Amino acid sequence: MRKKILLGIGVMAAIMLAGCGKGSGSGDGALELLNVSYDPTREFYAEYNEMFEEYWKGKGGEELKITQSHGGSGSQARSVIEGNEGDVVTLALAHDITAIERSGLIEGGWIDEFEGSSAPYTSTIVFLVRKGNEKGIEDWDDLVKDGVEVITPNPKTSGGACWNFLAAWAYEQQQNGNDEAATKEFMKKLFQNVLVLDSGARGSTNTFVENKQGDVLIAWENEAYLSMQEYPGEYEMVTPSVSILAQPSVAVVDKNAKKHGTEEAAAAYLEYLYSEEAQRLAGEHYYRPSDEGVLQEFSSQFDLDMNLVTIDDFGGWDEAYETYFEDGAIFDEIYAE
Amino acid sequence: MYVEMKHINKTFDGFQASDDVGFGIEKGQLAALLGPSGSGKTTILRMIAGLDMPDSGDILINGIRVNDLPGSKRGIGFVFQNYALFRYMTVADNIAFGLQVKKKPKAEIKERVEELLELISMEGLGKRYPHQLSGGQRQRVAFARALAPNPQLLLLDEPFAAIDAKVRRELRTWLRDMIERVGITSIFVTHDQEEAMEVANTVIITNHGRVEQIGTPEEICFHPQTEFVEEFIDAKYFEAWKNAT
Amino acid sequence: MSKKKQRGYSQDVVGDGINSIQKVMEPPKGRSNRGVKYFLIGVSVLFLFIMLVLPLVVVVTNALRDGWDAYTEAVFDEYTVHALQLTLFATVAAVAVNTVFGVFAAVLLSKFYFPGRQVLATLIDIPFSISPVIAGLVFILTFGNIGWMGDFLYQYDIKIVFAVPGVVLATIFVTFPFVFRELFPVLNAQGKDEEEAAALMGAGAFTIFRRITFPHIRWTLLYGVVLCTARAMGEFGAVSVISGHLRGKTNTLPLHVEILYNEFNTTAAFAVSSILVLLAVVILIVRNLVEWKKK
Repeated sequence: MRKKILLGIGVMAAIMLAGCGKGSGSGDGALELLNVSYDPTREFYAEYNEMFEEYWKGKGGEELKITQSHGGSGSQARSVIEGNEGDVVTLALAHDITAIERSGLIEGGWIDEFEGSSAPYTSTIVFLVRKGNEKGIEDWDDLVKDGVEVITPNPKTSGGACWNFLAAWAYEQQQNGNDEAATKEFMKKLFQNVLVLDSGARGSTNTFVENKQGDVLIAWENEAYLSMQEYPGEYEMVTPSVSILAQPSVAVVDKNAKKHGTEEAAAAYLEYLYSEEAQRLAGEHYYRPSDEGVLQEFSSQFDLDMNLVTIDDFGGWDEAYETYFEDGAIFDEIYAE
Repeated sequence: MYVEMKHINKTFDGFQASDDVGFGIEKGQLAALLGPSGSGKTTILRMIAGLDMPDSGDILINGIRVNDLPGSKRGIGFVFQNYALFRYMTVADNIAFGLQVKKKPKAEIKERVEELLELISMEGLGKRYPHQLSGGQRQRVAFARALAPNPQLLLLDEPFAAIDAKVRRELRTWLRDMIERVGITSIFVTHDQEEAMEVANTVIITNHGRVEQIGTPEEICFHPQTEFVEEFIDAKYFEAWKNAT
Repeated sequence: MSKKKQRGYSQDVVGDGINSIQKVMEPPKGRSNRGVKYFLIGVSVLFLFIMLVLPLVVVVTNALRDGWDAYTEAVFDEYTVHALQLTLFATVAAVAVNTVFGVFAAVLLSKFYFPGRQVLATLIDIPFSISPVIAGLVFILTFGNIGWMGDFLYQYDIKIVFAVPGVVLATIFVTFPFVFRELFPVLNAQGKDEEEAAALMGAGAFTIFRRITFPHIRWTLLYGVVLCTARAMGEFGAVSVISGHLRGKTNTLPLHVEILYNEFNTTAAFAVSSILVLLAVVILIVRNLVEWKKK
């Protein structure tokens, strides 16, 4: 019996070693690039990476192996700070990248390194409802009505959730003439209607679409489109009267890139997001290209006349985060009920 | 003196188990350590075996001071109170164990095991497992196992405690005959006076960690040297010794 | 006195086992007795069916929902294969480490007396009482960039968290006490007599372990290993926190299932889940085979 056990262990060891050699090793001297991204961009980057690997080889660069990691934007930023050695970060909001900057991993001034405040594509916040829109949801004030179940992620961990919150806030401020107390009441009622608070945008989408929970999902525009593509005819998108221009930012994680020797490749990787092909790919994945020309190509897909506020209306991310999402700030006040 | 204890002291957690213990046993004698519960007799046995270490004093076997020798090097055969037979080995393997450890050749081991099985009248039962034996049979196997490596001293810790009364009588006689036949110096612990008188030719009385008296059963019965011995020993058991000799 | 042929404890058994106890407690009354018996059996079967059989059936049917091709595509996808390799690697490592440790610790704590013995036994149980997520966090706080070993590790390019070593470490941690916990009570109850007898006859520590201690714990050890394996394969919380979800690198099978599910790829998620189910079944079969062969 002892022999059989030893044989079994030997077989397992062989499998492991074979796997180890292939998987975790750097494999044939290929240059490795790690892109730490936020939740909904999985499908986009899967295709983009193939595109970039080819482009890079075509320009005489070395063999590339790009690895993806996805999760809630805030959680992903934290993981980079804690040692997840991403070469680039492509997150949901500038604030998360600023947090990484503060930890010393990214050099100052990163936001101007790439065009458009380092946001190669943008999106906005919309509602996703089930076919037929039984509860008749048209705008933000429908979300605070009794009996309406809302799905949105947690602003503490999800970038998308932060945009959701600010969009709703902007709407109500416009409605009641900047009465902050009244707006807080509004937000309180909104979050009381929230059924499930997931940690990431994709988690919320799943809750709404796969688990069929809730009446309305407050989502990234691109997530809404993706859901409708995956489940044709089952969902409808509703554009609120006021929303926010969501700018997911990108940056090279300088300290890591220097350590890995990937500075050049990493910078090129992010730069290439602004190329025409990449911008078109973004549009096909329902992200609004930052390139005006390419954006026009998708004018039938996107509602280009939306009433959008920007983060600058909130005084920039640093101020906005401190006011609304820090520990003990407005979101905590509202949600503590 | 073949086995000697000189000024032995042992304390367990503040409890004095042995208090200036001293005695000597001649070669070939069958000695009984007799006394009430907690009188220190098992402690003495275990110290001779090397299972416990005395705090002070000397233990000599065949003239050699063995205090610093590990039990396995003292040439001791030990029969435990509950036999401690190796339950996952056959009777034959149990008996052979001591020799296997000494890396004796297989043929020699086989012969010795056969010899012992015959001695204890259990030929043909070599392939049985301990749980398939009766209490008396287990005791005999424990005895054979202790004897197999030809020890110079045989120690038995209350060998009949786990046996029922009827079988006990038969086994006592058997054990005494066996030991005489093999001719090995032996010490056994018991709290049963009749047993001590019937089996042993030297009796050591213990009480509160001290040795009260050492002598033949006749001496113990009719010439008690201390008050305790006089009260403790019932002379009627002397008859048992007389009948046995 | 009837002697039962048993593999383990050598006790003479009077009567015919549990039935004698039953007879004493409840003299056979006939029909009403039988009714209670059948009812209890029925409830147990129903419970097992709902909690075990049904979910398994759901996994299999959903995995094959889109046909066999979709199934094989999901199962042989390179990310899935890598996740399987990582899961197996982490499991084997965890089982190996924890078995060696468990045996040593169990023997030490049951056969030798030393101050602090009880404290050590309690400490070993810590991974049981900690939520796996906390365990993962603890590793990040120790080995991550902000941890007290952070700078040292970064300097020497030693990647523990958000890399394979972290995944293995987390798996070892959460399955730490399994083998020990199975062995310890058995060894404790066994006592030291046999080992003492063997030591007295001159047997060395390894011989004592091999011929006397090990045969006693053989089946318990196997069971502990089985538990350890099953738990290691299914571990999610601690590994999820520490893995960084690097596709093709630090995703174990359970993590990969979550990713697939999050990508609207439910069928593939179930397909990969079926691999886990298959592994579990294999372990059970292996264990039963070994036991059967022993007879």
